[in-house]
Amino acid sequence: MTPALPPAEIRALARLLDELDYYQLLEIAPEAGTSEVKRSYYTLQRRFHPDANRGLDQETRSCLETIARRIAEAYAVLRDPRRRKAYDGQRDGEEAALRIPLVAAEAKTQRENIEETLGRTPNGKRFFALARADIDKGDLDAALRNLKMALTFEPANGFFKQKLTEVQDAQREADDRKRAESR
Amino acid sequence: MAEIAVGIDLGTSNSCVAHARGSRVEVLPNAYGENVTPSVVAFREDGSIVVGQGARSNLVHDPRNTVASGKRLIGRYFFSEEVKKAQAVVAYQIAEGPGHGVRVGVRGEQFSIPEISAMVLREMKSVAERKLGQEVTKAVVTVPAYFNDNQRQATKDAGRIAGLEVLRLLNEPTAAALAYGFGRGLTQRVAVYDLGGGTFDISVLEIGKDVFEVLSTCGDTYLGGDDFDDRLIDLLADEFQAAHGINLRKDPYALEKLKLAAELGKRGLSVDEQVEIRLPDVVQGDDGSSLSIERTVTAAEFSSLVMDLLQRTFKVCDEALQQAGLIARDLDGVILVGGPTRLPLVRQSVGDYFQQEPKTDVDPDEVVALGAAIHAASLVSDGDDDEEEDAASAFLLDVTPLSLRLGVAGGLAETVIERNTPVPIEQSRRFTTFQDDQERVQVRIYQGESRRAEENELLGQFEFSGFKKAPRGEAQIDVTFSIDSNGIVSVRACDPETGEETSTELSLSSGLSEDEIQNILDDGLADRVQSDAPDAEALVPAETSAAPAAVEPGPAVEPAPQPAPAVERVPEPAPAAAVEAAPELEIAPADEPLPELDSSPPVYEAFSPEIEGEIEEDDAELEIDSGISDAPTGDMVEAAAQKQEPATVGEEAVLDAADLEIEPGDLEELDVEAELEGDDGLFDRSGADLAQFGDDGEER
Ligand SMILES: Nc1ncnc2c1ncn2[C@@H]1O[C@H](COP(=O)(O)OP(=O)(O)OP(=O)(O)O)[C@@H](O)[C@H]1O
Ligand SMILES: [Mg+2]
Repeated sequence: MTPALPPAEIRALARLLDELDYYQLLEIAPEAGTSEVKRSYYTLQRRFHPDANRGLDQETRSCLETIARRIAEAYAVLRDPRRRKAYDGQRDGEEAALRIPLVAAEAKTQRENIEETLGRTPNGKRFFALARADIDKGDLDAALRNLKMALTFEPANGFFKQKLTEVQDAQREADDRKRAESR
Repeated sequence: MAEIAVGIDLGTSNSCVAHARGSRVEVLPNAYGENVTPSVVAFREDGSIVVGQGARSNLVHDPRNTVASGKRLIGRYFFSEEVKKAQAVVAYQIAEGPGHGVRVGVRGEQFSIPEISAMVLREMKSVAERKLGQEVTKAVVTVPAYFNDNQRQATKDAGRIAGLEVLRLLNEPTAAALAYGFGRGLTQRVAVYDLGGGTFDISVLEIGKDVFEVLSTCGDTYLGGDDFDDRLIDLLADEFQAAHGINLRKDPYALEKLKLAAELGKRGLSVDEQVEIRLPDVVQGDDGSSLSIERTVTAAEFSSLVMDLLQRTFKVCDEALQQAGLIARDLDGVILVGGPTRLPLVRQSVGDYFQQEPKTDVDPDEVVALGAAIHAASLVSDGDDDEEEDAASAFLLDVTPLSLRLGVAGGLAETVIERNTPVPIEQSRRFTTFQDDQERVQVRIYQGESRRAEENELLGQFEFSGFKKAPRGEAQIDVTFSIDSNGIVSVRACDPETGEETSTELSLSSGLSEDEIQNILDDGLADRVQSDAPDAEALVPAETSAAPAAVEPGPAVEPAPQPAPAVERVPEPAPAAAVEAAPELEIAPADEPLPELDSSPPVYEAFSPEIEGEIEEDDAELEIDSGISDAPTGDMVEAAAQKQEPATVGEEAVLDAADLEIEPGDLEELDVEAELEGDDGLFDRSGADLAQFGDDGEER
């Protein structure tokens, strides 16, 4: 069994963590092959995995856990060609970010979602914002009109459509209630 | 010397405890000499609690106060589909507890599911202590790989209540691979095909000299041996309806008999080429005559009945291989785990799929506990002892089985950590608000593979406030998710500007609160569990020795309930005597399945004598266990019989009764899909729109 690491070393590395890129973390060259990535991951997890270092004080232990998680993250990115490519591209860019979200591939769809929920076109956005205000005020007729307008600019916007159905349902309910009361 | 830590396979039907020291790993048999102990908990009239063989016998005559298959309910919400299904088939009371949790009501007391599991764990602890001759306080406990965070949390709570420090929750297939590769110096890629009673797990691993890396794990929570039973039930019921115009499925008594027969028949097919399923007097015809079923089922016919189910498992295997970036031919070995993998049909199909013979040198019932024991040893090893070196050197790298998601506007759930990402891991994401001057966001965490929030399992939610007010889309909230080596999730949110932070060990609503756990611990619940042993040598913890009587002849004098229908339906004399004696005598071989939860005693009484006869007559056809069990059944039964005074009364009948029992695997398969059904009423949905995300600040 690997002897436990000196706590000072663990804490020092934890402090340094945010300055290391994934290659530095895994102690490999940027052109290292997949098997090297794996070998290094094994070695480092053995060294830093909390299972391999018992009897540490709380603070050191939490440093160690942070390191182990970061090593796993580096591995998850570098072992996966798709993620690794995205990461290398990002590293070469101006931002030179040292980390990349593990769901980078999904980032685009996520952005699309936000756009969808706020509107993609200026007019779509404008009418949808009006519709939201109408909904807040409880003016369903106005909301309906504005939603329909928003949809003429963004006919494919699923979120708008969903809101439209919701408003229509609410209106129907309100009508039913009125009818029931008048009877 | 290093501390003692054991491995416990906390199974749905049976549990198993093992211990590793150096290169020696062994299952620790219970006081009956059996390697597996039924995961059944019986609540006796005197307030004592018994787990294991004794409890399983109790199931027969006191199903209302006997709880089996608790694992199916663990970490579930009361409104979930699984719980509804269980309610339909179990005799004990299932009620709603705080936070939409599940409570079991027995003898006027209410217990949470972690408490029930704790009782089983407590028994396994005693089994280990008895065998090892010293106190055991640490354990690695296994869970199905597909278990979500709620289920893992609840299992961990169970360990605590049982007085065990759970060193790690280990995925069952991972444990199996560890046991398989341990000490062999292999460098292999293997698949673990784990088909249980109701669920299917597949894990693909890379085994290095001393590292076990899980490459991927996938599963299907609606697929298991129970589905095989259902196919047989359908066959029999359809044919019966065609012949007699009676739908047996509508008659709960007949259906119970059918279930039992189907399961026994299925097991029979793991030893014989064909089985004869006989159900005399299954129901009365319109003219009062009694109608029977006699049907021979060949392996070939059975195969055609269940082939599509097997195909479904292979679809999941496809997925696992794809996630691991491998093809079947890349694998060096296939390890089988779980009862149904004893079927030649399953072995053969798996062999065909992976283009190789599955390994036969692994016991599908014990391998998981063995792996857990190896891991436990490695977690407590101090490295001084040479002998410990082996176990200590086995190093595990696992993955998270389910994608972790965050609820966002529009009823969607965005992935934050994809499934099959190595753990421990942490990811942060920046989110923004959805409304102007929004002050609070509701953070909802899910696990699952659907983009639609409601189709995933809700792990928990917390409210985050204290960030700077801003127009919508401008406030920033960083949410950090981490998954530890147990697969347990924690989440914290923070405003990057103000530094305001909330953190939460995502405590699920259906789980126990810290206070509740503390109360349970203070009440000394686990200490009420009587060590289940056929003799008095049991290592009884000091606190419980006050009531040793319960261990011994207690149950024998407990009168079996004799509801009216039983009398009408059973012309045979004295089944009651047999049933009464059951707890004392019944010793089943290790392979013997756990009894089914009879929904009402009359069912059992009504049909037991019939099937008994059946088994006696048609040993070859329905005697299932011979040939598969390595437990010295006969001897053990005799030995045990000698130890028990009231043995003579119903010895034969009782042993037959043991043969009769059905596996809880037969409980209708619990499904996960509708988990969140009813959510709307239970959780404040209005907040759902609040947390809206923006993956980078400059987005707006
Ligand atoms: N010899 C056999 N042939 C066919 N099926 C069997 C045999 N023995 C047991 N089974 C079936 O195996 C299933 C139970 O499997 P198993 O004991 O592996 O676990 P489980 O209840 O799923 O537990 P876990 O919680 O570990 O998943 C039942 O459906 C049972 O009918
Ligand atoms: Mg199992």
